[in-house]
Amino acid sequence: MLKNYQTGAFFDEMMNSDATPKPHYEWFYKLVERFSARELDEKHETAQLSFLRQGITFTVYNNEGQTERTMPFDFIPIIIPESEWTMIETGMKQRMTALNKFLEDIYHERRIIEEGVIPRELVDNNPYYYRKQVQGVGIPLDNHIFLSGVDLIRDEHGQYRVLEDNLRNPSGMSYVFQNRYVMRQVYPELFFNHSIRTLEHEFSKLHQAVCDHKPSGCKGEANVVLLTPGSYNSAYYDHMFLAQQMGIELVEGRDLFVQDGVVYMKTIRGLKRVDIIYRRIDDDFLDPEAFRPDSALGVNGLLDAYKKGNVAILNGIGNGVADDKAMYVYVPEMIRFYLGEEPLIPNVETYFLSDPERLQYVLENMEELVIKNVGASGGYDMLIGPQSTEEERALFREKVIEQPNQYIAQPTIKLSRAPAFQGGNVYPCHVDLRVFVMNGTEMNVLPGGLSRVALKEGSLVVNSSQGGGGKDTWILSGGGETDA
Amino acid sequence: MLSRTADALYWMARNLERSENNARVLNVQLINMLEAADQQVLDRDWEEVLEICASYRDYINHYSRMERGTMIEYLTMNPINPNSIENCMKVARENTKNTRDIIPGELWEVLNEFHLDHQDSGGNIGTLARTKDYLKTVARTSMTAQGVIESTMTRGVPYTFIKVGKWLERAEKTARILNVVCEKQRREPLQHTTNNYYYWLAALRFLNGYDSFIKEHPPTMDSAYVLDFLVKEEKFPRSINYCMTHIKEAIMDLEGGQVHHYSEELFQLTDVILAEISDTGIKDMNMEELMRFLDHFQKQCIALSSLFMETYYLSVPTSST
Repeated sequence: MLKNYQTGAFFDEMMNSDATPKPHYEWFYKLVERFSARELDEKHETAQLSFLRQGITFTVYNNEGQTERTMPFDFIPIIIPESEWTMIETGMKQRMTALNKFLEDIYHERRIIEEGVIPRELVDNNPYYYRKQVQGVGIPLDNHIFLSGVDLIRDEHGQYRVLEDNLRNPSGMSYVFQNRYVMRQVYPELFFNHSIRTLEHEFSKLHQAVCDHKPSGCKGEANVVLLTPGSYNSAYYDHMFLAQQMGIELVEGRDLFVQDGVVYMKTIRGLKRVDIIYRRIDDDFLDPEAFRPDSALGVNGLLDAYKKGNVAILNGIGNGVADDKAMYVYVPEMIRFYLGEEPLIPNVETYFLSDPERLQYVLENMEELVIKNVGASGGYDMLIGPQSTEEERALFREKVIEQPNQYIAQPTIKLSRAPAFQGGNVYPCHVDLRVFVMNGTEMNVLPGGLSRVALKEGSLVVNSSQGGGGKDTWILSGGGETDA
Repeated sequence: MLSRTADALYWMARNLERSENNARVLNVQLINMLEAADQQVLDRDWEEVLEICASYRDYINHYSRMERGTMIEYLTMNPINPNSIENCMKVARENTKNTRDIIPGELWEVLNEFHLDHQDSGGNIGTLARTKDYLKTVARTSMTAQGVIESTMTRGVPYTFIKVGKWLERAEKTARILNVVCEKQRREPLQHTTNNYYYWLAALRFLNGYDSFIKEHPPTMDSAYVLDFLVKEEKFPRSINYCMTHIKEAIMDLEGGQVHHYSEELFQLTDVILAEISDTGIKDMNMEELMRFLDHFQKQCIALSSLFMETYYLSVPTSST
């Protein structure tokens, strides 16, 4: 199956350039060889159907209305040796600790600005810096980041780099569990001879981390809810799954009600007090009184209840200032400033276009760079230079000249690849890894994470809204490279 | 439990039950029409089916003609009919989707599977054979869903809301069918025996009660016996009496066997309705009296439904403002 596999100029997760497997994939390689092409096709079909039947879908909106789509699943897992994973884990904890200190700082003393580490205007002009709303508010554990989803990539040397810190409402955790579930159902044979870190205990840790945020005024057991925009949201499955697995109530804005600074939910027996809200609604829509007045998803008075300390809201309000594409450039500085450490996992080199010299350079080299809108996500408003057309570059040139502050540029990284099985063939596809970090009294990194794959041959975009798929991610335990 | 969740479960059950009932009624009609005596009888039968499964007046407002294909389409797929089978199944699925965190995964899968298998038909169930296949699948889906509910759900609050929805829907549908059949008989000035036989046989078949009925009664289709069976038979799961008794038990469970001040009215109304059923001597009534009783009962069902929703705050406004 992989005899003629070409790694090309890219780092490949599984294969060497001579078409032999890397040591930590040796067992997997042997096991896959035992399947016939037909068996692989059948299993592939079974796996895709399993997602559809279970309704593990996300909603896509287009001209013809809405459709429910599944994320394509690819059975070749991303396998990470334990030693490598330990490094990632440590690096993630370091990064999240610094980012959390940054958020605590800029909503209180603003030391990092006073000391000139981060330009004042970058913070103050940031549209997600909700100083007016949450300046000086004390929150449980001083923790702003209960759950983050950090996107990691590997360059052509196999070096892991952080591409994005998602500190607001990272989605996709349910897929980590469902990918593993389907993998075990459909490809049990492939687990033989592997010792893999299990995901079984992660929900109790996640639940514990939520409950750790109990407001100080709450006596007895905290009533925890997950606040979703509703079933029309593209990540609704994620919300539903997490609520179900943690055994907490899944609520919508219309189910909540604030009176005298206390949040209640409307039950069949009347009002019941709510203590902790894991919200999956963006800040803007959370409370029409405090943010966008046109929000139909939010709850009037929620911010007031939060400020009074009567309810904990996770993730914290105002995290957007720390995870946009401009602030990203300063995260290594935050790590040095708050922790006195060197970053364990580097960033991707990034240029600000507000710098006229840089701007000139970028405009002259557009076909070699990736240009991104600092406020966009999901692969939108982005130019991938080497794959762009003349017209696309012309359009971006205009946009960039008009609003240079709104854009950053990065060299096109040769994103690592891994084999993917689609349409009866195995071919190399670009991958990235979203690592989930949960934080309560203790910080815990979900072993593995969501490996996303750009299934369109040659594509660099892994986002599920744009044709990306998922893979299971295995962390080998016991240090075994090829443990028999 | 959240009121919104309870609301979704309640309407999920009602819509599922409604789609099964409508599928059965339409299926019976597809067979009956084959032997209809003349066009006039046929049209009247269809009018009755439209009235049971939707609203005859609504249909006529949209389509002035009683054309078979149009009527079948109206009752099965047509989105302008809020009670078309497809609409009911869609509402049931949406409500299941919104409560997936508390219902058995298999329940969602059953309804999702139906949706996946039918979404590409584009509302086209063409031939009579395909229509009948479709109706059968609808009934099977509902029964499978109920099987999942019965065999896996904890007998707690969510379960009870599902059951109350189901029984209320059933009771109402039974009353509606009886009403329509009585009305038809009343309009026939001559008490023609053959026609009577045919009407009451249809009523039993609409309610899946024919087999049970003839085990206990002679197959003469005496209207008094049939009506008594469908209204009062405590062992038949679609009789009005059976449904109301179970609603009362369910509410009793919900309240832990106690009448609280907020649920007092609800208990009173179920007691009144049950007393009305047991105090009514169906066999001694003439058609006029019967229709009055059935009309009254339908109104009581609607009152009970809204009181139930009010007691548990089920009608939630769509926005929090």
